[in-house]
Amino acid sequence: MNQVLFFAELREKTGVYKVDVELTGFSVNQVKEWVAKDYSMPKVQDAMVAINEEFALNETIIENGDVIAFIPPVSGG
Amino acid sequence: MSKDRYSRQRLFAPIGSSGQVLIGQKHVLILGVGALGTSCAEQLARAGIGKLTLIDRDYVEWSNLQRQQLYSENDASDRLPKVIAAKERLGQINGEVTIEAYVQDAGRETLESLVEEVDVMIDATDNFEARLLMNDISQKYNVPWVYGACVSSHGVSYTILPGENACLRCLLDSVPMGGATCDTVGVISPAVQMVTAHQVADVLKILVGDQQAIHGKFVTFDLWNHRYSSISVKNVKKRDCPSCGNDPTYPSLSMETQTKTAVLCGRDTVQIRPGQMGDRDFEELKERLVDGEVKENPFLLSYDQGAHRLVFFKDGRVLVHGTKDVTEAKSIYQRIVGG
Repeated sequence: MNQVLFFAELREKTGVYKVDVELTGFSVNQVKEWVAKDYSMPKVQDAMVAINEEFALNETIIENGDVIAFIPPVSGG
Repeated sequence: MSKDRYSRQRLFAPIGSSGQVLIGQKHVLILGVGALGTSCAEQLARAGIGKLTLIDRDYVEWSNLQRQQLYSENDASDRLPKVIAAKERLGQINGEVTIEAYVQDAGRETLESLVEEVDVMIDATDNFEARLLMNDISQKYNVPWVYGACVSSHGVSYTILPGENACLRCLLDSVPMGGATCDTVGVISPAVQMVTAHQVADVLKILVGDQQAIHGKFVTFDLWNHRYSSISVKNVKKRDCPSCGNDPTYPSLSMETQTKTAVLCGRDTVQIRPGQMGDRDFEELKERLVDGEVKENPFLLSYDQGAHRLVFFKDGRVLVHGTKDVTEAKSIYQRIVGG
């Protein structure tokens, strides 16, 4: 089982902060596609993804127990 | 100068007397003096930095005053360029700091001409085009820079040390377009201050040579919902990165990505950069501005046409207020200037 966290504006767009879901064996890219579709959020492709508080590459494979965080780029200043 | 001025900072062991001397010899460039830039500049001026270089293309407006801490109501009424107002205020805070102010867009040429004398660059901009430019300059000239950004109650900060940790381009698969901005969801001052607290702390570590104290992680937080994370970047430094990899091409430097038009963050405004920059002749311009109200100061000329307001800067740039539509803005501009 895995946990998906949505940070910043993604939390406001999805309406949730934390989702429990089984993603073991999928790649980060596949998880991005799933989120984009399930939450109607094409912008999620721009987000940075961290697994267990380490940024991950698109091809990284999710392992059981991993916590996956979606962090949108923040631009204001 | 009172000898006590920096006593509390010298008492802080990682800085000490020797660190204080170093701070007084250093030069920090701050790109953008909006919310993040004013906060960083004030902290560094109070800390006794040797020299600050400030670059900003904008002028003070009333909606800035809620969080842009160096500006007053008079600055907003006078529409003073931000760097001019900031320099004036910083001079009152610490007269020993040398401050250079540039009223302009931070293009490649400007940054390349300044960066070699600079010890650290602080990102206080509001767009990724400028950040990727800083990122390439930082790698090419081996000068650290500190990314910072905030929106709503969220903020991020990340210190990039060339040759050490992943650069901004490693972190971003593509240049992000859009996303939440200050004009869609706003921003609160505590989020600004939290970002600059992280930025300035890391800048001080670099200036006093305590690089070991820099954690090198990407900090992200949400003050309203009390969430804080520090994310490691060690898996995403890319050997083939065009900015920091083995064979860099510095795309933001070679492409010269200067857009002619840009929709500005936070307002209903489009900026236009003419192909040839240079001193705009206000007297000649005023002869064309016949259907509206003209206001002028030594730095800019504002022309209110009703639905739109145009602000002309000496360096050639024009801000078209009252639209987010680039084409419409260009057409308004060309009707007045190009005709």
